Amino acid sequence: MNATILVTAVVSQLCLVSGQLFIKHAMNATNETPVPWKRVAPRFALGIGSLSAWFFLWGGLLQRAELSWLFPFEGLSPVLIVLGAAVFLKEKLTLRSGIGIALISAGVALVSAS
Amino acid sequence: MSSERPSRTSLACVAIAAVCVTAAELLFKRGADATANLPAAQSLLGISVLASGWTWLGIIAYIASFLAWLYVLKRMPLHLAFSLMSVSQVLVPLSAWWLLGESLSLHRWAGIGLVLAGIMVIARPAMQSEEKL
Repeated sequence: MNATILVTAVVSQLCLVSGQLFIKHAMNATNETPVPWKRVAPRFALGIGSLSAWFFLWGGLLQRAELSWLFPFEGLSPVLIVLGAAVFLKEKLTLRSGIGIALISAGVALVSAS
Repeated sequence: MSSERPSRTSLACVAIAAVCVTAAELLFKRGADATANLPAAQSLLGISVLASGWTWLGIIAYIASFLAWLYVLKRMPLHLAFSLMSVSQVLVPLSAWWLLGESLSLHRWAGIGLVLAGIMVIARPAMQSEEKL
């Protein structure tokens, strides 16, 4: 494994996570009446921009490694999403969803380690 | 308004989004393989993947997944929705093994089992509450 590929994989995941946070932030605002489009549009655009960066970085990585080796790097994202959603979107975790997320993260880590 | 307990419709949309994203990943890999020998493929950005029709099919599948995802995000907390989407962590290696002939070790099978168990823990309350209706 090459260090550049590893760093690119981590950066691509950060782009994916920030993109999801921006889009969720935008979708939360669409629940207001009337919909505040002036706030929704920039959040949505930032989300699409981050996801586009993820897409092209991911495409570059796919040209260099096997999909089943590379894909577990996306296992970083559930953990980063939980942290990001708690810090930036003030989402609260229940015990049940916490257990479920822990099982999923452990499973993804096991898949990554193999 | 997003709710901590996912509805059956939201779970169905997560499943649609996961299947579409799995198809997109496989199509992107096909497109990436088909363009790996182009001179532009030396760049760290994978723009040369756009030269393949497989990549464009992958983009269509990804857009379908994204639309289902927007429906889910409007109705479910992000941490929960994103964790449920980890079902693609199961679908992609299984599909890569089945369709692309990539290998799958015992560790990976065990990991797939844990991911499925986690998804069941999160999704079960929705299934039980709607069965009672």
